[in-house]
Amino acid sequence: MADAPSVAIISLASDFGCQVQITNIDPGLLQVLGLIDLRYWQLTSSGHMPEEYDVAVIEGAVTTDEHIELLRRVRETASVVVAIGSCAVTGGIPALAGTIDADCRFAAVYGEDATVTPGLHSPVAISRYIDVDYIVPGCPIDTTEFLAVLGRALKGLSNGMPEQPLCASCKTHGNECFMRRGDLCLGIITRSGCDAKCTTLGRPCTGCRGLAPDANLEAARKVYAAFGHDFDEVVTALDLYNTDREVCR
Amino acid sequence: MAELAIEHIARIEGHGNIAVKVEEGRVLEVRMDVVEPARFFEAMVVGRRYDDAPLITSRICGICSPNHALTSIKAVEAALGVEVTERTTMLRKLLVYGSFLQNHATHLYVLAAPDFVGLDSVFPLAATHPEVVERALKIKSLGNRLTALVGGRPVHPVTAVVGGFTSEPKALDLASIHDQLLEVANDVLATVDLFASFALPDFASAGDMLALVESDDYAIYGGDIESLDRGWRRPVAEYRDVIVETSAGEGHGNAKHSRTTADGRTFMVGALPRINLSGDRLVPNAKAALARLGLVLPSRNPFHMNLCQAVELVDAAEHCAGYIERVIDMGGSSKPATVELGRECWGAGATEAPRGTLYHSYGIDANGIITSGDVITPTAQNLANLEADMRAFAPTVADRSPKEFELLIEQLVRSYDPCLSCSVH
Ligand code: SF4
Ligand code: SF4
Repeated sequence: MADAPSVAIISLASDFGCQVQITNIDPGLLQVLGLIDLRYWQLTSSGHMPEEYDVAVIEGAVTTDEHIELLRRVRETASVVVAIGSCAVTGGIPALAGTIDADCRFAAVYGEDATVTPGLHSPVAISRYIDVDYIVPGCPIDTTEFLAVLGRALKGLSNGMPEQPLCASCKTHGNECFMRRGDLCLGIITRSGCDAKCTTLGRPCTGCRGLAPDANLEAARKVYAAFGHDFDEVVTALDLYNTDREVCR
Repeated sequence: MAELAIEHIARIEGHGNIAVKVEEGRVLEVRMDVVEPARFFEAMVVGRRYDDAPLITSRICGICSPNHALTSIKAVEAALGVEVTERTTMLRKLLVYGSFLQNHATHLYVLAAPDFVGLDSVFPLAATHPEVVERALKIKSLGNRLTALVGGRPVHPVTAVVGGFTSEPKALDLASIHDQLLEVANDVLATVDLFASFALPDFASAGDMLALVESDDYAIYGGDIESLDRGWRRPVAEYRDVIVETSAGEGHGNAKHSRTTADGRTFMVGALPRINLSGDRLVPNAKAALARLGLVLPSRNPFHMNLCQAVELVDAAEHCAGYIERVIDMGGSSKPATVELGRECWGAGATEAPRGTLYHSYGIDANGIITSGDVITPTAQNLANLEADMRAFAPTVADRSPKEFELLIEQLVRSYDPCLSCSVH
């Protein structure tokens, strides 16, 4: 397998959920692994970070000086960087910590006397520090979409991410609209591509895939208002995965 | 002199360093440092609505996410006084067992087994012993299918909410999973045999052992907290009184250590304490597997954790099949119960996660806004005991070759199946 592209799977601050999804590729994890030269994956193997690899798959948000340094090294080494999961793509749920004052955060978890650890930052998306070539959004990633994007990355094709909001795909499932039932749903501004998983299972969308590039935020604001949701409520809901409004679309 | 220092120990969940130094039988240094950055989940939930708690805190761990989601839901329900139906409880137990099947299969085959066959990872086994890898994937993917069927997806369930489920599996799909659970019987038994064939060090941990216990079932979703050594039994709402959490101390990173309040001892949680405390409530096949292993209960050997996880796989498959039969027969609804706000309240919840007892608790105000949050993960409870074990175990194997010494210490660490990202939350 001399010319199989070499891949390193790297994780920053995360809950490992997206890496677990990679192990969940089913059937065929082993076949997929046969097509690439997997050089590094701390979760599954003893072994050190290699000097060279073609593709870096990165999970997790950036929260420490160490992460920033690692990212810079990765960007110099890898010709392709793939960000996987909300944490890496938008900052995700870890970034919610950034909405709380640092002193309060430490006090709530480590007691009143705790001091803020040096070198620790509010969690942000990796594109805040390095160029990202491909994204696989979602919390967690969908394995099929991950394989599709990885395949496109290996072939040098475009990312192929849908740019429209979720509503159209939700409607094809014949779901009753949550907004009409009085619930706040972020589907009208969230990037589609998840096949409206949550709404079809009876839960309003919480926006894990980030904002849809095609979403009309001004219009959405009016729609939310018309359905009786004040702006604060929408902002609180949006903060769950998308505190960083610039990177999340 | 035996010495080792490993940065980012592999095949555990999360990032950790270990350091051990033994000189002429004296332990000079033993450390298990968690190098995960602090994540502040307890602070993050404050100010959010009560129903955001499960969504946010389940992102503490994508590996046992069904447990975090359900434990959080239980804590919110306890606070708000929400009662759920038996059907909801049954479906939730299926989610917990789904998490057991996923996690134990991964830990045993992908993380632990390579140590015993002299490999760095499980991947080379795919070429030499494809049937072993296939078996691992079969059990794990059954766990995934069960979790996805009940929860909507294998990681971070969608359907489980405060009060019940937003969507239910179809009876036909339940019946099909039921058959698959019965079919996996040989594979889970073969897992027990595989781990029984590995030579394990003889070692006894000095700590206590805690787990949830129920009088009429193998406790995974409810029950009271019980101590193996002291015999006390306390309701989950009192978990803060029976466990003290302290900062792990200088150089240990952002993790916490736990001790029992009663006697200040370190303690273990997980499959071994569970079987020690509830072994007589395992299904008959699992009991038979235990007997075949010749495990004398209670066992204090942390290396037996792997064996106990294997026995729990046998138990999970059969227990789930039984629960599914009941769900299909029982009728009733799992539609989310209505929630009444209007008073300040606090509540705690616990479940047995694959790695041990998991606690969540929240304070909620009259508008349903969270005012405080607390989470104690299994690994946070185990870390102090693991360090104590490393300290006691290292001198007994200090005369081995450096490579063997390192392997044995790593085996001990992996037996605990630590989840370091969970330990810093
Ligand atoms: S995106 Fe979600 S599932 Fe993936 S690592 Fe982050 S929190 Fe976990
Ligand atoms: S419906 Fe919304 S929250 Fe659910 S997977 Fe899709 S984008 Fe994520």
